[in-house]
Amino acid sequence: MTVLEARTITKEFREGRGEAVSVLKGVSLDVHRGEIVALEGPSGSGKTTLLSILGCILTPSSGTVVVDGEEVDLGRPGRLPAIRRKSIGFVFQQFNLFPSLTALENVEYALNVKGQKGAGARREAERVIDAVGLSDRRSFLPRDLSGGQKQRVAIARALAGTAPILLADEPTANLDSHIGGQVLEMFRALAKKEDRALLIVTHDPKVRTVSDRVLQIRDGLIAADGLAA
Amino acid sequence: MVDLATKSLLHDKLRFIITVSGVAFAVTLVFVQVGLFLGLLDNASVTIDHISADLWVTSRNTPNVDFAHTFPDTAVKRVRSVPGVAQADNLIVWFVTVNLPSGAQEGSLVYALDDFRNWNIPWNVESGDLGDLKRGQYFFLDDSAVKRYGQFAVGEYREILGQRMKIIGRTKDARSFTTTPISFIDFDRAQTLNPQSLQGKTTYVLVKLAPGADVNAVKAEITRRLPYNDVYTKKEWATRSRGYWVKSTGIGLNMYITVFLGCLVGIVVVAQTLYTSTMEHIKEFGTVKAIGGGNLDIYRILGKQASIAAVAGFLLGALMSYAMRPVIAKIDLKLIITPAFAAIVFAGSIAMCLGAAMISFRKVASIDPALVFRG
Repeated sequence: MTVLEARTITKEFREGRGEAVSVLKGVSLDVHRGEIVALEGPSGSGKTTLLSILGCILTPSSGTVVVDGEEVDLGRPGRLPAIRRKSIGFVFQQFNLFPSLTALENVEYALNVKGQKGAGARREAERVIDAVGLSDRRSFLPRDLSGGQKQRVAIARALAGTAPILLADEPTANLDSHIGGQVLEMFRALAKKEDRALLIVTHDPKVRTVSDRVLQIRDGLIAADGLAA
Repeated sequence: MVDLATKSLLHDKLRFIITVSGVAFAVTLVFVQVGLFLGLLDNASVTIDHISADLWVTSRNTPNVDFAHTFPDTAVKRVRSVPGVAQADNLIVWFVTVNLPSGAQEGSLVYALDDFRNWNIPWNVESGDLGDLKRGQYFFLDDSAVKRYGQFAVGEYREILGQRMKIIGRTKDARSFTTTPISFIDFDRAQTLNPQSLQGKTTYVLVKLAPGADVNAVKAEITRRLPYNDVYTKKEWATRSRGYWVKSTGIGLNMYITVFLGCLVGIVVVAQTLYTSTMEHIKEFGTVKAIGGGNLDIYRILGKQASIAAVAGFLLGALMSYAMRPVIAKIDLKLIITPAFAAIVFAGSIAMCLGAAMISFRKVASIDPALVFRG
């Protein structure tokens, strides 16, 4: 079942002198429930822009994005936060944890923002923190966690709730190879177990090993779409 | 629910202390400046507030209680004949010079009544019997005179307008706005002290109403019968006396300027620290937006942080101000902080901090959630 669909997405930015720069030139893709997709490409190829559009953070210049059955209305950018709350979980390269909140609170706060509050949010936060293997680090602040542990908290935050789409931006870029591999394995297992679609933007060749499919983007276009080796 | 606002605010303790200190400074400045102002104004009407008169008859256009003008003392008889008047007596308030044993001359504000005990003045007698004032060349002197006259004791003599008079009692808390010491003398004696100005004259008629009498009706009738005098209720007279000093001396403007500067300093400190904090946490706010939060979620965070800083700053400022009261009292000044005044300052602190947070609100509105993808 398709949960994320993009049709002929284009995106142009204006440079300082007013010149239009075309970053995406007609990208189309589908991602299904329970599917792990790697999005690869060189720097400047438009990976992060595409991720921002698929994550309803940016609106495309043209084209259609359908998230969990809802077509994103380009004329109503005010609707985007609601779609993010309901359908999308993010994992960032820099973890982006709140430094003043404990591991558990970081996850619980994300649930609060999504509208889940009280004991239910606390139970759900505990569930995902346990699922990423950080039961004994629940009350630790981010500064007291290793890089791998921080990324696990970030994954737990993305998993918390029922968002069917998980978008990860270079999740292993700030981790050493061994830890990065462990985090990817765990992420894959959890996404599969919970039947979530996972799209990973990456330079890391290890991501291929955990993916079902690999998309390659070059110069704003999907250059290759095939099963992972 | 996770309280990101509080946790984030307290996470950086040094910044929190700076913010709270800024608010506390502004609050203390306002409390002390306005409190001293209220203390001074209290002096301007403290005798009016304590004297148990419902109405005051004054000469036309008397500006305040200390600057009295004379009118015939027979006016009291016409006042007594007004229906609804239970009691009316002449009161002289007059500035006199006092010769001190050192040879120096000082001023004193004389309050003269036929029987002080009928009018609750002086209201705080430390020693002596007011009934003895009629027995000779006697007077009561308020303790506040020590500062200008030096130490004095009951039984000593001072020369008032060239007449040797004995101190037979001490009072406390009777002050004038100008800090001129107040003395209490028998009414007839006061008239003989300065016959040229005061013989057959008074400066006020104090009026006590009969139970159930309509104050406005009595006031109107006295005004009709004494067309060349003014008649004020106690509250009106106190307000007029205080208002004179506020308008004529610039003390009011001085207070407003200081309060304005205090608030300005508070706003600048709070705005600067909140804005810097917002800039430092911009990526966190971007994350809030990326995970589905809106500007309103972030406004709530900033608003709560500003409110916490306001409450903590107010409490610290109030504590410091109360701690200063005994020190200020030692230099014979009053710092008046009424519950209503404290409530206004509290509301002002909240408004000041929320106002300061508005600058950060504008920044937050422009945060691009896509910044979470930048390294």
